[in-house]
Amino acid sequence: MSGARGIRRPAPALVRRVRHLVAALLLTALVGACVEPPPPLEEPDDVEAIEDLDLPELAAESLLRRAQEVTVRIRTLGCRQFGVGSGFVLPGGIVVTNRHVVDEPREVTVNTWDGRTIDAVVSGLAVDSDLAILQLSDDAGLPEAELRTTPIEPGERIVAVGYPGGGPSTVSSGTVLGLVDGELFGEPADVLQIDADIRQGSSGGPVLDMDGRVIGVVFALDASTGLGFAVPVTTLLERLDASQLASPAGC
Amino acid sequence: MEGPSSTWPQASSERSSATTPLAADGAPPAAPPPDVPPRRRWPWIVAVVLLLATAGSAAGVAWDQRETAEQWRERAEALAAQRDDALGRGEALQVQLEDVAELLAASELDVSELESRIRELADEKAQAEDTATTVQVERDVLADVSSQVASAVEALDACVTRLFDLQEASVAAFNRAAAGDPVDVEPLNRQAEATTTFCNEARSAAAAAASAADRIPG
Repeated sequence: MSGARGIRRPAPALVRRVRHLVAALLLTALVGACVEPPPPLEEPDDVEAIEDLDLPELAAESLLRRAQEVTVRIRTLGCRQFGVGSGFVLPGGIVVTNRHVVDEPREVTVNTWDGRTIDAVVSGLAVDSDLAILQLSDDAGLPEAELRTTPIEPGERIVAVGYPGGGPSTVSSGTVLGLVDGELFGEPADVLQIDADIRQGSSGGPVLDMDGRVIGVVFALDASTGLGFAVPVTTLLERLDASQLASPAGC
Repeated sequence: MEGPSSTWPQASSERSSATTPLAADGAPPAAPPPDVPPRRRWPWIVAVVLLLATAGSAAGVAWDQRETAEQWRERAEALAAQRDDALGRGEALQVQLEDVAELLAASELDVSELESRIRELADEKAQAEDTATTVQVERDVLADVSSQVASAVEALDACVTRLFDLQEASVAAFNRAAAGDPVDVEPLNRQAEATTTFCNEARSAAAAAASAADRIPG
């Protein structure tokens, strides 16, 4: 066959060398392709605590509950009349409400959500805003509200809490519609316009964002539109400075 | 694979029949040493050594790989056991979680109901306190009016007493005048003036009390 085709067969020595080379290569490949033994087995993380399971929180419930807990009912016996309103508790036994709720106070009493009755005195009335600050005689164990310091944007979801008509506390949800010129209400700065359900007796109640932080204090209601108005928390923060408050007048 | 041992003897035989002359007696003459290259054994030795080395290495590698395969098999079994264990614990935790969630929901419902009841009671208490405050205010007002009325009644009673005294003094003066005795009317006039003043004050007090009583809401 090789003679017919004229093909030279390689010399046997060359064939042997090639075979040895192939054998060596196969051996090298065999050794190189060897599988490594497995690495040490790591122990799996153990779930010991139930907290690790990331149980869902009842956030909405907590917000409403918290909002009602920080809101108080205010009963005032003035020089000429008896009245009720709403307010909310801040750290230090301070209660924020409207000035028109506690104007000319003879006797001020605060009712908490859980039935406690606490005496209070009017420690200051805002001169240029419908805000008043009360000091509780006992604030032990009272839930305290948190004030929001970041800007408020129109369209934000809010809840308004109060004791309309002096009755049980109510929570109504709504949105911030925008800012209205405060001069229309004798306020030093723009006030919040909200569409939450506001009624007589809700005055002084807090308006909270969806994180439970106070963004305003309800103080007025437009009977024709049903829209409510709230003093923004920025005005409250400025008036919390004692120099911005006046003492109440006697009877 | 054809080895060299099967080809060389044939080549040597062919070469001998083609070139070696026969002897006269027909017997082949003594053959001269063939022109064959000396047989080299070292390639065979090298080949065998290499083959043995290769076989030995392959056997070693095979043994090592067998061990490795065994380790991987054990690893796979361990991981499968871990997986089964994790699945089992996951199912157990899921059951626990569902139980906890169910209890939490029940507790949450209970808490909500209790808080709602607390708020109702707090509202009732606040309303009662409102009523008590209102009643207190009304009581204070009534006590004030009552005090004014009592003072007015007392003043009017004193007025009546003084009027009786004035009447008695006047009658005595008329009787003395009728008997022809001299009568000094000056003391009588002073008494009448004092009595009038006192009774006017009593009437004013009575009017003030009546006005206060009229202000009490129905």
